[in-house]
Amino acid sequence: MPLPLDGNFSADHSARLLRNYRYVVERTMRAVGGWIALTPEISAKLVMGRHVWDLAQHCDAFGGRLPELRAHAQVSEPANPDVVRFMDHLEEPERPDQTVERLVGVYSVLKPHLLATYRDHLARANPVYEPPTRRILARCIADEERHIAEGRTILEHLAADPSVRARAASRQRGLEELLLAARGVTGDAASLPPSGAPPRRDLADEAREFIRLETARPTWPIPEDLARAIGSLGEALVATDEPAVERWLADGLALEATAWTLLRGTRYSGYRITAFARLGNQRLVKTRLDGPSCSAVVTARWACTPEGWRVAALDAGRDAVGPA
Amino acid sequence: MDRPIAYDKLAREDRFVRMRAREVAELKVAQGLPPFPDLSSRESIKERVHGIMVGELQAMEGAGRTVCDFPDAPWEFTMDMARQVWDESRHVEIYLRLLEHLEGYAGEFPETTILWRCACAEDAAARVAGVNRGLEGLACDVFNQLVHIARKIGDPILERAVDFVLADEITHVRMGSKWLTKLTEGDVERRRRAIEFQESIDERFNLGGVRREGDHDAVPISVATEVRRLAGFTEEEIERLIKTTQRSQVY
Repeated sequence: MPLPLDGNFSADHSARLLRNYRYVVERTMRAVGGWIALTPEISAKLVMGRHVWDLAQHCDAFGGRLPELRAHAQVSEPANPDVVRFMDHLEEPERPDQTVERLVGVYSVLKPHLLATYRDHLARANPVYEPPTRRILARCIADEERHIAEGRTILEHLAADPSVRARAASRQRGLEELLLAARGVTGDAASLPPSGAPPRRDLADEAREFIRLETARPTWPIPEDLARAIGSLGEALVATDEPAVERWLADGLALEATAWTLLRGTRYSGYRITAFARLGNQRLVKTRLDGPSCSAVVTARWACTPEGWRVAALDAGRDAVGPA
Repeated sequence: MDRPIAYDKLAREDRFVRMRAREVAELKVAQGLPPFPDLSSRESIKERVHGIMVGELQAMEGAGRTVCDFPDAPWEFTMDMARQVWDESRHVEIYLRLLEHLEGYAGEFPETTILWRCACAEDAAARVAGVNRGLEGLACDVFNQLVHIARKIGDPILERAVDFVLADEITHVRMGSKWLTKLTEGDVERRRRAIEFQESIDERFNLGGVRREGDHDAVPISVATEVRRLAGFTEEEIERLIKTTQRSQVY
């Protein structure tokens, strides 16, 4: 049976759709590229790093197809001002503690919509006279399926806590409203795709490996006497017991001269060691102090002295945000 | 989005301790240790690999920022930088896994941020000159030597993995040379500033004579003359680099 010759849209319309896709994909690529540095978690960084290049290739393919449709090459065009508004909001979260907000925008809102839009376009693009566009769409669909699977895997990992899940849901609702107000990235969508079946598990194998690399926690090689000293200092810091803290300082280091003074006047309820690094024969220990209203990070450089382990340098900062 | 961002916005997991490179070097020298890990033992190889892993992380972050920060740059430039982000993200994974192979862990040594600071240059031409030619050139030296040492100690995993990363780095240097020329076409002053920036980075990463011409086994970091030729550095540039290593100030 011959393939049908009737088509759903003109070459000009097809070019307009590609410019619309290119607009959101290019902005997403640039935002995701920029977010890598602003995102603490390695798993999220690596997934973003992988996807930036795929998105660049999608843009390039859309933009390269345009002259074949009597349009200018590599041109992006938003479907309407509401699409611009949606993208402005999608790009907004830049704080280190907003990784989940960043991921939700791209992987729970934009990409599922893009995937549905590409699928719909592919289904309606004529197979006799639009194979070049269809090939591009088929490649983008395969990539987007994988991106969504990977992004959601990282999201599930980072949003294990109910309060974080609530934040993610709220962010998703807000962005979906904006995308709906724009009538999708092409300006003619009546609705957004239902959440549908979960992505295939095998599409997210790389993301799971990134999570493993992020969560692998070796047993730190802390000597017993140093472990006791670190514990004692941690308790003194939580209690803001300055004489007790001072007992651990090496000769010549005055507490008054350290950044600890910046943390005075704050109550802490507990501490946890988050980093243990080697600097020659000395050890760097990062301690996070958690309090009801804020947290702080204290980094101590421990040196082995004739009196035992002592703190040779102490640095501190309030509200340094970062995952455990 | 903020474009560009301040260098102190670089986000890290809590398991990393960040320090100034100079401070790290001074504290090691004060303990009678070399300022930069040599490759004489598995422990020092591990420390070197940790430093590379952190460098790859910052290279990925830097290339990502370049994709973000210069929306008006030529599209082909964005394509090359996006490709580099992908390459660097694979390198980070490779080095994280090599660290496991060497029984180390991420955060085992302090992180310094010289590379990231270079990647924060405001001009795109300066970034490609400094990062792609200066720092990726250094990577060519370091990885070439690491491949040799891995072969010598009989570690085929280390040898093969780093060999492929080295191939990518050569490509990145070539990209840097191409874009340094294209972005500064018709602007002699911009080109001069970019090259000056690269040379200041070369000088800094001579590490007080740690990098120099010589056999892989005899010097801490050997200038990879052949690899640099392959990457597109001219004979004149290679000679100049070798000369600067001879008069490099103490770290």
